[in-house]
Amino acid sequence: MLRKNIFVFTVLKIVAWIIFVGLCIEAGGLIVNFAFSLFKPEFVQNLYQKLDLSEMYSRSKWAFFSMYSFALLISILKAFLFYVVIRLINKLDLLKPFNSFVAAQIKQISYYTLSIGLLSYLARQTAKNLLHRGFEINTLNQFWIDSQAFILMAAVIYIIATIFSKGVEIQSENDLTV
Amino acid sequence: MPIIVNLDVMMAKRKISLNELSERVDLTLSNLSILKTGKAKAVRFSTLAAICKALDCQPGDILEYVNDR
Repeated sequence: MLRKNIFVFTVLKIVAWIIFVGLCIEAGGLIVNFAFSLFKPEFVQNLYQKLDLSEMYSRSKWAFFSMYSFALLISILKAFLFYVVIRLINKLDLLKPFNSFVAAQIKQISYYTLSIGLLSYLARQTAKNLLHRGFEINTLNQFWIDSQAFILMAAVIYIIATIFSKGVEIQSENDLTV
Repeated sequence: MPIIVNLDVMMAKRKISLNELSERVDLTLSNLSILKTGKAKAVRFSTLAAICKALDCQPGDILEYVNDR
């Protein structure tokens, strides 16, 4: 049982690292593009992953920067979320999992997930609003298509974090029982 | 915590060291230290019985309730 768990955790660790690196590349690419779009506006037609937002930029700079900020913030938060996940997986001791560090990390993961979910939802509503005004924003939908999934996941993780906190309490009580 | 552990008082009365008591009741020194310093959150009846046997006393000699209001 324990050997199987160790194997699963090793695989999870590798997958989390791959996702983290991918998200860092995405966030980094978006940050660089954002800096370029501030100082070199002609770069806007060839953004990260062949995003072309030149039409939005020429029509309304406010719309461009707000939507781009949403995409950027969501990417950074996703990268940070996986950084916390990796930190948790690295420090998690399967023989003694109930400690305050793990409980705090799980709670932190739930907060980041909720932030991503709410921000994605807000971005999606703003995008819908801009769509009604005739802006072409379908290319940006990939950044916030999963907002509801994130909100639901945040709720589930929060419940797990609360149960874990109780587990830590019971563990410390058990440790102090002579 | 309104429950006070008077283990050190009883140990002094019986002139017994923590090491000796630890050997007699088969408890680790760290666990006995937790109990002695009042950090323990619970005491098993078996532990209490072993301590009472080793110190030749009653549970009331070791544990005391103090109203802290």
